[in-house]
Parts: sequence; C-alpha cells; structure tokens
Amino acid sequence: MRFCPFAQRTLLVLKAKGIRHEIININLKNKPEWFFKKNPAGLVPVLENSQGQLICESAITCEYLDEAYPGKKLLPDDPYEKACQKMVFELFSKIPSLVGSFIRSKTEEDRSGLKEEFCKEFSKFEEVLTNKKTTFFGGNSLSMIDYLIWPWFQRLEALELNECVDHTPKIKLWMAAMREDPAVSALWIDVKAYRGFLNLYLQDSREACDYGL
Amino acid sequence: MSLQVRLSYLACVPDPLPAVPPEPCPLNTESGQVGRRTGACGCGCEPRGHRICDTPGRCCVECRSLSRYLENMTENESKTLGKGSVPPGPVPEGLIRVYSMRFCPFAHRTRLVLLAKGIRHEVININLRNKPDWYYTKHPFGQIPVLENSKCQLIYESVIACEYLDDAYPGRKLYPYDPYERARQKMLLELFYKVPHLTKECLVALRCGKECYDLKLALREEFCNLEEILSYQNTIFFGGDCISMIDYLFWPWFERLDVYGIADCVNHTPALRLWIEAMKQDPTVCALLIDKNIFLGFLNLYFQNNPNAFDFGLSS
Repeated sequence: MRFCPFAQRTLLVLKAKGIRHEIININLKNKPEWFFKKNPAGLVPVLENSQGQLICESAITCEYLDEAYPGKKLLPDDPYEKACQKMVFELFSKIPSLVGSFIRSKTEEDRSGLKEEFCKEFSKFEEVLTNKKTTFFGGNSLSMIDYLIWPWFQRLEALELNECVDHTPKIKLWMAAMREDPAVSALWIDVKAYRGFLNLYLQDSREACDYGL
Repeated sequence: MSLQVRLSYLACVPDPLPAVPPEPCPLNTESGQVGRRTGACGCGCEPRGHRICDTPGRCCVECRSLSRYLENMTENESKTLGKGSVPPGPVPEGLIRVYSMRFCPFAHRTRLVLLAKGIRHEVININLRNKPDWYYTKHPFGQIPVLENSKCQLIYESVIACEYLDDAYPGRKLYPYDPYERARQKMLLELFYKVPHLTKECLVALRCGKECYDLKLALREEFCNLEEILSYQNTIFFGGDCISMIDYLFWPWFERLDVYGIADCVNHTPALRLWIEAMKQDPTVCALLIDKNIFLGFLNLYFQNNPNAFDFGLSS
C-alpha cells in the first residue's frame, strides 16, 4: 500500500538493490478475501516469488531480499557489525507504535506527552550516531538499518513532529543525507498526499489507500 | 479458512541432510561408553534428528560439542556476581563470555547455541536481584544474556546473540543456508512471541495462589498455532527432520512447562508433545537440562524474594 511505512521498507530495499519487482497494492480498508491466503494476518508487506514462496514481516522481507539477490549487500558481512545493526533496530522498536498512537491521538495533552516520548527515543538514536562518529547508523555509507528506520522519520514533517529532532543535530544531518539517496527520493511521498491519505484513512474511508491516483 | 491451510505458508519442505565434516571422534570408544545407542562410528550418538557418520572412526558434530561441554562443565555452574563484586577482566582470546543466569530461559537459548556449535566459552552468572554496578556497562538495562568477546564487543538480545554465534563461528550451521528457509524460521519465531510472556504470567499467578484459566487458554491457543505447523509439515522438528536454530529458540519455555505447573497446556497438541520428546533426545538439550528439584528450589526462593535464589543447587 503506497502510504504504508512497513511496506516502504521493502520497496526501499527492492529499489536499492535494483531487484525487478511488481507491486500489487492492497486496499487495507477493504481487503480482498484472497489476500488472507498470502498472509493470514492480512498485513502488508508480503513478498511472493515465482516458486510461490511467501515471506511476511517487513524486516524479514528485507533481510530475505538482501540474502537472496546479488549486488550491493545492505547488511554487513561482519557478524558483529550485522548484530550491531540488529541491536539498533531493537532500539527502534517503540517508534512505530508511538507514531500510530500520535496519529490517533485526540487531545493536545496526549499529543504533547507523545512528543516528549519521541524526544526521549530520538536522543537514544543521537547517542548511537555520537558514539559511532559516522553519518549513517551502520557506518559511513547508507545500509540496511537506515532504510529500516527511514519511513517513520520521513513522516515527521507531515505529522508536524519536526520539533522532536530539534535537539538531535546528528539525526537532522542523517535525515538530510538520506534525502540524497536515490532509493529514498524515488519513493518520496509528498507531504500533502500523505496528509490527504491519512485524513481519509482515519475516517475508515475505502478510498484512502488510492488517494492521489 | 481450513485450519490446515491457514498456516501452511509457513510449512517447510525438509532439506536433505548436509555433509558431515570428517574428524576423529573425541568420545570414540569401542564399546560406546557414553551410554547411548551406538551409531556406525561407534561413538554412541543419538541418530535421530542428527547427522550420522557412516565412516567408522569419524564422528558427528554432536560428540565434539558434548566433549567440549564436558571440558567446560565446571564453567557453567558458577556462583552469581552481585553488587560490590569485582568486575571480571577482559575475555581471553579464543574464548567468548556469556553473562547469564542458570534458570533464565532467554540466556538458556544462548547456552544451547554455544554448546550445539561446540564454541569454547565461559559463563558469568549475574545476581538479577542485586546486579553489580559494573554490569550496566555491559547492558544499559542490566539484562541477560549478553555476549562479550576478546575484542570487547558486546552483543545482546538473545535472538541477536544466537544469530551472531551462528554467523561468527564455523562448523555446524544452525540456521539454514537457503534464504527462504532462513526467512521461514524467522517468521516462525514471530508466531512464538507471546509464549514467554504468557508462561511467565501463568507461573506468577500460580505461585501467588491465583487462578490462571484465561492465561492458560491463551497459551494453549499459541501452542495450537505451533501444532498446526508441525502437522502440516509432517516433520519432527520445526525446521524439518533435523534440529535447527528455531527449535533451540523455542525449547527453554517448553522445558519449563512442567516445573511451572502448566504441562497440561500441551494436552491437546500431540505433534508438539512428540517434538518435546524428540528435543529431550538431543545431546545439547540433554546436557543443559535442569534438574526439576533444583529448579523448584530456585523458584521457591525466588518467589520469597531471597537474593540467594540464583545460586540454589550450587555446592558452596
């Protein structure tokens, strides 16, 4: 689905590795029956190959693509460096649900509470970059961990959460560097389009997922 | 949707057994002294679910792992370090250290992998109710398990630690080579994520004299999902006909069902019960099985908030 951050992870990896693929967008507010045969949970993203093999869970799909396809490796070969990327990924685990809560928040009080939580979480990421002394979370070049966390940082502007990175200059620099990446730019979602989608999505509209088409 | 089809996307096609590395068996004796069934090599390895060598004098991987364990045995059973303890020195080269606790299921995963792969290691047990200050330099929240190697690199989160060991050390690979099969094992792990929390909640409820009917129902439901996978695949283990990483990642909670008082949660899952029996035959699982009375002794002290709980069963 064009606006799903989890699916965006997989699309970023497909783009970054130059893997030939086709996209079937699913209407998440009106799921087709047949989709539950692809994933009983009815969630995107799901990968399906010509052997009929199905892979679910965005992080698992990304790792699968990196292992199964040639070309630039997004995960490091070194076992420790790979483990480090996974430990940073664990650090990130609260963010998607925080963003979900923020999107659904009803009061100003709830929103400011969540903003504080974001600041707390982001400062942990600032610390990672400070300790590593590199631009990206995996080193001096962009790698898997950057793509895995990017979709949520991309949405900060549309959600008016840019202030949460005010005190994390390294994250700001990282975001600017990410915007230069070809895969990131190719999958850029316009702020207006995202807000248009979100508005309809929160009203449970069946038209939401096709906003802008 | 039929029960059979629902989780069929996770079912695997069993791999053929991979080739055996040729090396003389450290436990090899004419009479098979280890006491188990004698395989073709005479080393007494349990054949089911393992690679068995067909050249006499050669050995399967399990014997090397077990002999290494027997070398290391005293290392695994050390008293915990608590507040005020002297921080341990750097890890010597050729060794990897695991910060652990003898009864912790998450640390158990890592110890299973260390043993299964025959990795030389030392164990430092941490007193989880009275953590040393220095331990927070190993893990920001003082959790276990944590791996530390001789390059001072720290790896935590049990699943990440297990994968690191499989990647970094040679010999028997616990994760499959095929990218799809690897992904499948990781998807299976997602199916398991509620189990640790539910088993702990059941334990706590029972220990506090409360009913846990709803919790057990929820746990049974999770076990039904796992049962579905095994029935559909028609294999002994979750990765196929041989034990592999996913089985070791699941095992610690199943070993604890009995001592937690919730063994009846597998009453309606026959394939899972067969898997449990097959797991108990695995040399690695066997070697690390915790005696029921010792575990109960630990649990009694733990729920009395006794800080000596973690050392229960160790000779002073």
